[in-house]
Order: sequence, then structure tokens, then C-alpha cells
Amino acid sequence: MTGANPIIDIRGVYKFFGNLSALRDVSLSVFPGEKVVIIGPSGSGKSTLLRSINRLETVDQGMVLVDGVDMNAPDTDIDLARRELGMVFQNFNLFPHKTVLHNLTMAPVVLRGMPVKEAETMAMALLEKVGISDKALVYPGQLSGGQQQRVAIARALAMSPKIMLFDEPTSALDPEMIGEVLEVMVDLAREGMTMVCVTHEMGFAREVADRIVFMDKGQVIEVGTPEHFFTSPKHPRLQQFLQQIL
Amino acid sequence: MADTPNIRIEVSDGASIPHPGDKGLVTAWSIAFFGALALLVFLITVMADPFWDILQFVADGLIITFQVTIFAIMLSLPIGLLTGLGRLSTNKKINLLASTYVEVIRGIPLMAQLFFLYYGMGKIFGVGGVPAAVIAMSVCYGAYMGEVFRAGISAISHGQTEAARSLGFSARQTMRLVILPQAMRTILPPVGNEFIAMLKDTSLVSVLALSDLLRRGTEYAGQYFNYFEVFALVSLIYLIITLILSKLVSIMEARLNYYDRR
Repeated sequence: MTGANPIIDIRGVYKFFGNLSALRDVSLSVFPGEKVVIIGPSGSGKSTLLRSINRLETVDQGMVLVDGVDMNAPDTDIDLARRELGMVFQNFNLFPHKTVLHNLTMAPVVLRGMPVKEAETMAMALLEKVGISDKALVYPGQLSGGQQQRVAIARALAMSPKIMLFDEPTSALDPEMIGEVLEVMVDLAREGMTMVCVTHEMGFAREVADRIVFMDKGQVIEVGTPEHFFTSPKHPRLQQFLQQIL
Repeated sequence: MADTPNIRIEVSDGASIPHPGDKGLVTAWSIAFFGALALLVFLITVMADPFWDILQFVADGLIITFQVTIFAIMLSLPIGLLTGLGRLSTNKKINLLASTYVEVIRGIPLMAQLFFLYYGMGKIFGVGGVPAAVIAMSVCYGAYMGEVFRAGISAISHGQTEAARSLGFSARQTMRLVILPQAMRTILPPVGNEFIAMLKDTSLVSVLALSDLLRRGTEYAGQYFNYFEVFALVSLIYLIITLILSKLVSIMEARLNYYDRR
């Protein structure tokens, strides 16, 4: 990448769950506008790493800097820092007691003090973008999984974050719904959003990623361009992993 | 939705809440309610002597009964909410305080608490009968409700908290805007049960020289020695009120399910 400063800077991070070390000396930098895809077998620590970026997981050692803010420092206003980080979950986690529209407007209105009318106009534009504006007034329980995940992406975007984090966004979806969600993510990538994405969708990784990170047993094993990954993977564990999934 | 398990919490011995799904005309509730109502009307019209007389005599006891119930409900709800939140708190001191409160209060019969507050504390601090009854009942039921709130809140999936916090909501905003509104649904039926149990338990205050419904009945019966008629009527009145309450709760429960309708 260019000589710009990284917007996410993870330095020598360790995370333990009891005796189990989920992350061991992980370092990773993500630059503005970059799309990084994290892959690896289950239990490799990729979700933990992603969740440590917005401090859904605290780290036991090392440092996570987002836009220069030390996420684990005691004097960091974490609620303020998190506004810049959109997060999309495997299980969508939409608020079931709010309409789709309200799911999107809630955070900007409450947290950014945006006038309701303005928030609704913006929310409708976002719903239009993810192709679901006709469902604005229904409750999430009435939507399919793919629709819910697209709403969840729109909800995260409603806070105009600088970075979007995706934690296996298609893993809970029926196969026929994966495409519609990936489409929205590809569009987002084309617009220049900084994205960190944990996924098993190799097609998406190949198409969108600037860099792919392979993790195993809590460590980053190999980092490289998609081309490098799919043509000349070096580490035997990565070769084995790719053989199994491709 | 997968992340809002449709569980029903059953904790108390309160009257059973009619299930909102029971749509038929002949339900246990309708049989009990219309039967009791018909019987009441029959007794005070056809057998006006002595039932009409008894009804007039015990009627003002209803005021005390309602007074104690309403104030105790209003006071026990915030106590229950705070206790439930305290029991879920990661702050060890708050958690211990709330848990100890629940353990202690649950282990003492309401009757003993009433006696202690009214005769023990009341006589020292000059607390009147109604306030003593209200305090004792809300402290007691606050502990029960604390458990209901705790269960209802912890039934909401952690993903909801994570989603809200990721957007930048504080822990407090997350509880108020995301968790509690959803928890209300699971909390309402058992809390309704507690309300009904409370109304019935106000009959205990008759031992505090408070002229509630039951006490008025006792007074009348003591005068005219017609225990059978008096307590039949008093029981009917309690039954009709609790049945109305339980219907109201089930209507509210159905309303709170608005976002599940397809």
C-alpha cells in the first residue's frame, strides 16, 4: 500500500480464554480503503481477532489502535470509538422489537443527535442501496435471513463508520441467500470502504480482497494478495486448508 | 426469531394467566368468570337478605384492599427491576447486595414480615397500617420480582447487547432501548402472576387491624354468625377481581407480541 498511516494497527496481541490461547502474538495493519479478508479453520482465532478491533473482546497483551485510538486504554471512550466501526454479525442481531427503518435510525438519532426526518431519509437511501426499501416498515422477524443480513449491513452503515467489520456474514444463511449479501458487500468494497472480513467465501476473497490473512491456532500464518494465495501458497498448513475448501 | 426464545417463566403460585392463544368461547377463564359473576348477581338479587346487606358492609374494605395492592405494585416494580439488574451486575458489591436481599426476604414468610414491620418497627417509628402493609408487601414481592426480571433479562441473547454496543450505545442505553423492551415480553406474564398473588395476599393485612375486604367480612360474620354466607361472598369478590386482572394481563401479553406477527 501507500505510505499512509494504517487506520487499524494491531501490535503483538495475545488473548487467553483460561488456559487456551486464542491469539498469540498477532500483528496486523489495515490501511484506509483497504479490504482485508481473514480466513482459517474454525477455532483459529479469526473471529476473536476481528472482535478485538472494536473491543468486543479485550486483549490480554499488546495493542489495538483504531484511527490512532488505543481501544484498550482505560481512558478511551469506547462508545465514541465504536461509532467509527460498523460491525456485521453472523446471526444478524437486528433488534426484533423495532421496524427495519427504526433499526437503522435508532443509533444516528440517539447517538449523533440527527433529526428523525433526516435520519429516515438517509435510512431509506441505505435500504434502497441494499435493495430492500420496500420492507422498511416491517419487523425483522418477517424477513428472510439474507434480507435481515442486508438490513444489518445498512444499520451499520447508518452510523457512517470509517471501517466495516464482518464476522462470517454469510455463514448462517441458506445457500441461495449468500449471493445477495455478497453482492452488497462487493458494492461497498467498490465504493472504497475500509473492510475487514472474516469469511469462508473464497470467491469473495479472490474478487474483493487486497490482502488475505490466513490464521491457524491463534497465529497469523501467511499474509498475501489473492493471487499469491490461490496460485502459490507457501505454508503447508495453508496449502492443506485451501485443498480442503476449494 | 432465533435470538428471542419464546420461553415462559413460571415462578409464583399466583393464579394462572389465560394463554393469549386461547381464543375459544368456552375457556377455563370464561367458565370461572361468568359463573362467579352470575352467582354473585343471583345472590345479591334473589337472596338479597343477607347477601346485599353483607356486600354493602364489606364494600369499603375493598378500598383498603385496592389501596394496598396498587401502592404495593407501584413500589415493588422499581424494587424488582433494580434487584434484577443488581443480580445481573458485574459489580461484585452490588451483586452481593441484591442477592443477599433476595435470599433473606425469600426466607421469611410475608406474614412474619408484616407483623415485624407493623408491630415491631411501626410502633417505634409510628408507621400507620396502610404504609406498613405497603412497605412489607413491596419489599417482599420486590424480591420475587427481582428474580423474574433477572430471568427475563438474561433470556435475551447476548448478540443483542453486542449489536447495540457495537453501534456505540452505552451499557445503560443498551439496557433501556434494546434489552428491557424485549425482556418485557417474557417478564409480563410472571409479573402479572405476582400482581394477582399480591392482591390475594393483601388479605393477610387483615391481621394488622386494617379493615380490608377479608377483615370487614370477619367483622360482619362475628356480629351475625353467618360465616358461610359472608365468606362465600368475600371469596366470590376476590375471585372476580383476580379473574379480571388475569384477563388484563393476558391482553397486554398479546399486545407485547406485536413484532412476532407474520
